[in-house]
Amino acid sequence: MKILVAVNPVQRSVAVLDLAAMLARSADAELIVAAVLPVGWQPLARRTDGEWLGHLGESADVVLDHAASVLAGLKASFVQRSAKSAHRGIVDLIEEHSPDIVVVGSSSSGAIGRIAIGSVNGALLHASPVPVAIAPRGFRAGASVRIRRLTAAYGGSDAARDLVISAARVAADIGSRLRLASFAVGPEGSVTAGVGLEAERDIAEEWIRMMDESVDEVLSEVSEMVGAPQLDDAVVGVGDSWAHAMDDVTWTPEDVLVIGSSSLGPVARVFVGSNATKVLRSSPVPAIVVPRGGLR
Amino acid sequence: MTMLREQLLRRKPTAAGGEDYGLKRSIGLFALTMIGVGATIGTGIFYVLSSAVPTAGPAVIWSFVIGGAVAGVTALCYAELAGAVPVSGSTYSYAYATLGEAPAMGVAACLLLEYGVSTAGVAVGWSQYVNELLDNLFGWRIPPELSNAPEQGGILNLPAVIVIVLCALLLLRGTGESAVVNAVMVVVKLGVLVFFVAVALTGWNADHFADFAPAGFQGIVAGAGIIFFSFVGLDAVSTAGGEAKNPKRNLPIAIVLALVIVVTAYVVVAITAVGAQAPEQFDGQTAGLSVILESIIGASWPGTIVAAGAVISIFSVTLVVLYGQTRILFAMSRDGMVPPVFSKLNPRTLAPGRNTMIVAAVVSVLAAVVPINFLLEMTSIGTLVAFLVVSVAVIILRRREPDIERGFTLPLHPLIPILSILGCIWIITQLRPITIVVFAIWTVAFLVFYWFYGRTHSALARPAGSGPDVPFTSTIRNAPEGKR
Repeated sequence: MKILVAVNPVQRSVAVLDLAAMLARSADAELIVAAVLPVGWQPLARRTDGEWLGHLGESADVVLDHAASVLAGLKASFVQRSAKSAHRGIVDLIEEHSPDIVVVGSSSSGAIGRIAIGSVNGALLHASPVPVAIAPRGFRAGASVRIRRLTAAYGGSDAARDLVISAARVAADIGSRLRLASFAVGPEGSVTAGVGLEAERDIAEEWIRMMDESVDEVLSEVSEMVGAPQLDDAVVGVGDSWAHAMDDVTWTPEDVLVIGSSSLGPVARVFVGSNATKVLRSSPVPAIVVPRGGLR
Repeated sequence: MTMLREQLLRRKPTAAGGEDYGLKRSIGLFALTMIGVGATIGTGIFYVLSSAVPTAGPAVIWSFVIGGAVAGVTALCYAELAGAVPVSGSTYSYAYATLGEAPAMGVAACLLLEYGVSTAGVAVGWSQYVNELLDNLFGWRIPPELSNAPEQGGILNLPAVIVIVLCALLLLRGTGESAVVNAVMVVVKLGVLVFFVAVALTGWNADHFADFAPAGFQGIVAGAGIIFFSFVGLDAVSTAGGEAKNPKRNLPIAIVLALVIVVTAYVVVAITAVGAQAPEQFDGQTAGLSVILESIIGASWPGTIVAAGAVISIFSVTLVVLYGQTRILFAMSRDGMVPPVFSKLNPRTLAPGRNTMIVAAVVSVLAAVVPINFLLEMTSIGTLVAFLVVSVAVIILRRREPDIERGFTLPLHPLIPILSILGCIWIITQLRPITIVVFAIWTVAFLVFYWFYGRTHSALARPAGSGPDVPFTSTIRNAPEGKR
């Protein structure tokens, strides 16, 4: 198994490396750590941007050296790549090395402890042919931490069912447990309608009952699989915001969330739907976004 | 026979608590008052004058005072009931917990009028003002064939259908109305009315009051029946009581304050409207408040401002009432009183999708083909009978369970519920006979539906127990949380 790790060439970040290491330890995989640099601007015949490119190259060296020290003990190779844009460089590397998963960090402008989508990981979320793992800002995993539990975000659709099945296979492969989690933000309700301010609580209860039924079906399907992973109780999170809904369930440092692509997106590419994006942005644990067709 | 009696009067056990998701709202006196004002204003004042003034003459002012007084005492009764019964929901839920299943279904029949038919009525009112606004802004109106009910010479009322569809789409997306949105709407509504009064005063003509009560006291009371529609919503304060700070003190004060604000606004608007336009010109006027200002000023801009404000605020009212209807049917569906299709949710948005679409479709048809007067009267009678049941429930509950914890206790018992009952009956008798007949037919039809469907599908019929003598006490309030 191969894991491509895309690091920011001008900023040392431990979060993405810790996540990559955690995945590599869990799946016994080999790491390819890549720093994607911009290409020079061809029309500038006199190479007036040479110094800048040289500086970036040196910076990338520093970042990759740092990565090597963090990933010491794991099988890893390090590459620099020039491309017109960071995400295009990453997609090129995916095509070249055909990794099983690509690991990226959060945008640097987000809340600590949550996943932040920026331009690079955002573009990958709409173009990657392989699953994308994203570390929350400031994510840390100890030197021996493995994935103990995969939490599959389950929304009740057929695509979500397929995701659960493929997450179950992966969980079985890496020896982790599997948990199903459904999240919802209750509708706002209305203060002046005269039907009580708790009308939406009834809606939430009905939704939970509905999810329970559908989760039971999926879980029985999973447990009939050959070599089914150990299953945890399915959970639901309801809140007045996605962050509250996510915090409504318990998370451990050994959890990883698995989210499926929208059924509206192009086939076999990662494409995150609107609710999935909100779940992703509010995730307190690393998340793996899987294209339709599933994890390999 | 006893079994049937038990079946018809079985009460839904009250198990409050449940789980809270998100923040528990804690509503203060000001916000409670705003809920009352926001829920009430905007439903009627924009269009009731055109039917009430021809009936009562300038004395329509007293019609508003009478209507307000009746609405006020019933709202106070509702506050006691809401504070005594640990359930959350509409009048239907309170009736189910206190009076039993069959009476609750009678109330539900009323609520379908108070909400469903009222949505149609409000939407028709919206169409009048949207037409006025279009005319003022672009010099173009939706042709009368497409903006009037058949009885008024049209084919269907298209704008009314459009606003219902728009509101349904918003509800399908999960849109609601927060306390902040409500506060903004209150400002818009009161702002428009203040603007109307300020401009209308410039056209003051005291001669219009010369024949103050052409139809005498009888006319005033008949007018109260017509304008009662504009007090629907005052009861919303009571249903918010469960999350009010210090409900014992704040709930009655909020109801009375909201009532005073609303009655004052209505009376001042009515006085200035009659002062600005001779009483005989009101008859059959559409988008009345706009038209009055335009004829005083001789320019369209004041009418445009009023029409724009009306379009915004009536839209929000349509959204809220439609929302209320879907949630009442949702609760009934969970209780087994209406088919399960009404409690199916869209797993993505959590909106009761089919429920919303069915309600919107039915309400659209009503709005398209039924004239506004009839819609408003049906709403009034439904609301009045629901209020009446609430007042009766207060008296029954005081006798049956005198010691339960009440959030708010009416003083001078049983004076206020009795006043409320008499007031409701009095106004009901003023409505047109056709309204009362249609109401009776509708309620009987709904109870027949209950006999054949709800009675056997009731969720209470499934588990054993829950006979009519299951008492509820305030201790149930602390029942353990339901399973997740």
